[in-house]
Amino acid sequence: MALLEVSGLTTHFHTRNGVVRAVDGVSFSVDRGETLGIVGESGSGKSVTCYSLLRLIPEPPGRIESGTAMFDGQDLLQMTQAQLRQVRGKRISMIFQDPMTSLNPYLRISTQLVEALQVHSDIDDKAALAKAIAALEEVGIPEASRRVRSYPHEFSGGMRQRVMIAMALITDPDLLIADEPTTALDVTVQAQILEIIRQRQEKLGTAVILVTHDLGVVAGTCDKVNVMYAGRIMESGTAEQVFYEARHPYTRALQKTIPSLQKKGQKLFTIPGLPPDLAKPITGCAFYPRCPYPKVAGPVGDVPVLRDLGNGHCHAECHFCDSTAPIESVLPEDLAEDAVVGDAAPAEGGAA
Amino acid sequence: MSAAIGDPATDFLVLQDVRTHFDLGRDFLTRQSKGVVKAVDGVSLTVRKGEVLGLVGESGCGKSTLSRTIMQLIRPTSGQIWLEGEELSAISDQDIRETRKNFQMIFQDPYASLNPRMTVMDTLAEAIRTRHPGLNAEEMRGRVSDLLRTVGLNPVQMKRYPHEFSGGQRQRIAIARALAPEPKLIIADEPVSALDVSIQSQILNLLKRLVREMGLTMIFISHDLSVVRYVADRIAVMYLGHIIELGSAEAVVDKPLHIYTKALMSAIPLPDPRAEKARTRIILPGDLPSPLNPPSGCVFWPRSPVEHDERLKTVPPGFAEVYPDHWAADCPFCVEKPA
Repeated sequence: MALLEVSGLTTHFHTRNGVVRAVDGVSFSVDRGETLGIVGESGSGKSVTCYSLLRLIPEPPGRIESGTAMFDGQDLLQMTQAQLRQVRGKRISMIFQDPMTSLNPYLRISTQLVEALQVHSDIDDKAALAKAIAALEEVGIPEASRRVRSYPHEFSGGMRQRVMIAMALITDPDLLIADEPTTALDVTVQAQILEIIRQRQEKLGTAVILVTHDLGVVAGTCDKVNVMYAGRIMESGTAEQVFYEARHPYTRALQKTIPSLQKKGQKLFTIPGLPPDLAKPITGCAFYPRCPYPKVAGPVGDVPVLRDLGNGHCHAECHFCDSTAPIESVLPEDLAEDAVVGDAAPAEGGAA
Repeated sequence: MSAAIGDPATDFLVLQDVRTHFDLGRDFLTRQSKGVVKAVDGVSLTVRKGEVLGLVGESGCGKSTLSRTIMQLIRPTSGQIWLEGEELSAISDQDIRETRKNFQMIFQDPYASLNPRMTVMDTLAEAIRTRHPGLNAEEMRGRVSDLLRTVGLNPVQMKRYPHEFSGGQRQRIAIARALAPEPKLIIADEPVSALDVSIQSQILNLLKRLVREMGLTMIFISHDLSVVRYVADRIAVMYLGHIIELGSAEAVVDKPLHIYTKALMSAIPLPDPRAEKARTRIILPGDLPSPLNPPSGCVFWPRSPVEHDERLKTVPPGFAEVYPDHWAADCPFCVEKPA
């Protein structure tokens, strides 16, 4: 049995503008030592999925409507607050996007690292400090025994993110959830940070959920990938399956938009329009209005179910578009370039 | 150093040995100097008319300070800047406002760069008036409509406020505002970094089309080489206040000379699992050094995987044309010379 098995996770936000279906029936699993990537645009529900697992959703307005998340035999979604505190930070750790705001500016790094240890185990100050220094050394902070006395503002962005990783891993968690851990960092620092996560994972056998919008990061680090759109999983499978045998139009379109894959001088491929407003009910395929494939039927019917291809590769069924055509052939020359995009802005839902 | 620059009299924009330093002043009690941040430290550069020059580098390398220095929002500490033969660095502070309308900027965050209390119409009209003060309401509406159509927005939306638009649409408005005063040079400072991938390519296509159709000259600042490669004709790579490599976009991306450019390229994750597994990555140790205390000699030596000799740790290297129109810092340890 997998370390974490999520099934039918549904998180809604009850706002003044209606019910925002931020996560709508998401299922996936993560094994020990495995890295699962969750990719999607902003508002696709990837962060809300992670926050729901640790029950970090502000309630109200948010509410986990249904689903289970079995972590090592226990349902995270049914736990009491006391039980959750035993899991958060100890067995499941989280790294947030912005290392500038997720450390307490008033406290020394040592205090913050030692606190993480002492909350979860009976360890005296001296031993805890020694462990904190060792943790900083492992993430490549030079002069760790001196730097541990520093305040967060004395570190650069990359160094702060290392401190965050050290803090997340100091309790040897079984699962690490990293929500866009490198988005705020430069590419050279990003490469360093991803390398550190990979090394620690190899050593400790930690399972990792990596949330990102960067398909490049996913390709380099993940074993399995979930592609999310409008709160639903559009396609999932191993990295190779999703990159080389993508079935769903959204996955294919997302890959086509990456500038580095395109020849210079060619017009960049774009997905026309905007992601849907999640406060309005979506009938049928959520991607239908933006789908670049020829449409063979209207956007009617139920939410497409995930079809399992048998080898771990799943994709949302697509009834309406002819997705057997190669994507190049379905694109008229000037598609989308001057599209007057959308008439109104999408509602800024709770999916932040 | 001088050979990299063109002729100030004929070339569009010429920078010669521009330095922008920030003096941190003296300590209140001890009266000792707190030091000088050398944000831009000896940049010589030519921007040709009608080209897109990509400016690439990590945060803190001085690319934003350089762009602000070109616009004379920060006056350079030393060095000269000419725009179409006119020496900007010699214009007095009183007259500089008049010159600034030749420059327009597109900023990174379209949520912060538009005034939330002004409608799109007001925002654009204000910018148009700097160039055409005498327009009546009718003419103004016509111009605003034209601008909105140019950037792919519907003119019926001109009475709306910024919060009614999505991020990509707001960036289109910001681009329209930059075009409104008919500037000679547009500086786009990370214009797509805050946008989603699917929206990024829409904005990049728009910028590319505007450059082609309107013959704009643009400095495109980004930390993402894959984006810059797509938009720019030439790329300048900046490190710690210096330009360490300059060449056509193809040359810099496909055949980088400086080891820093190579490291920057290899740090970009490829959206291709097999290629990712196969490649060897140059991971640079440490962080960008502080511009308050930059290393002497070749700026890259403390992070370079190749050990530098004593001379290059003390004497700054020049800038050499390694291949025709492809320049790099003249440091034998960072740049492999052609055989």
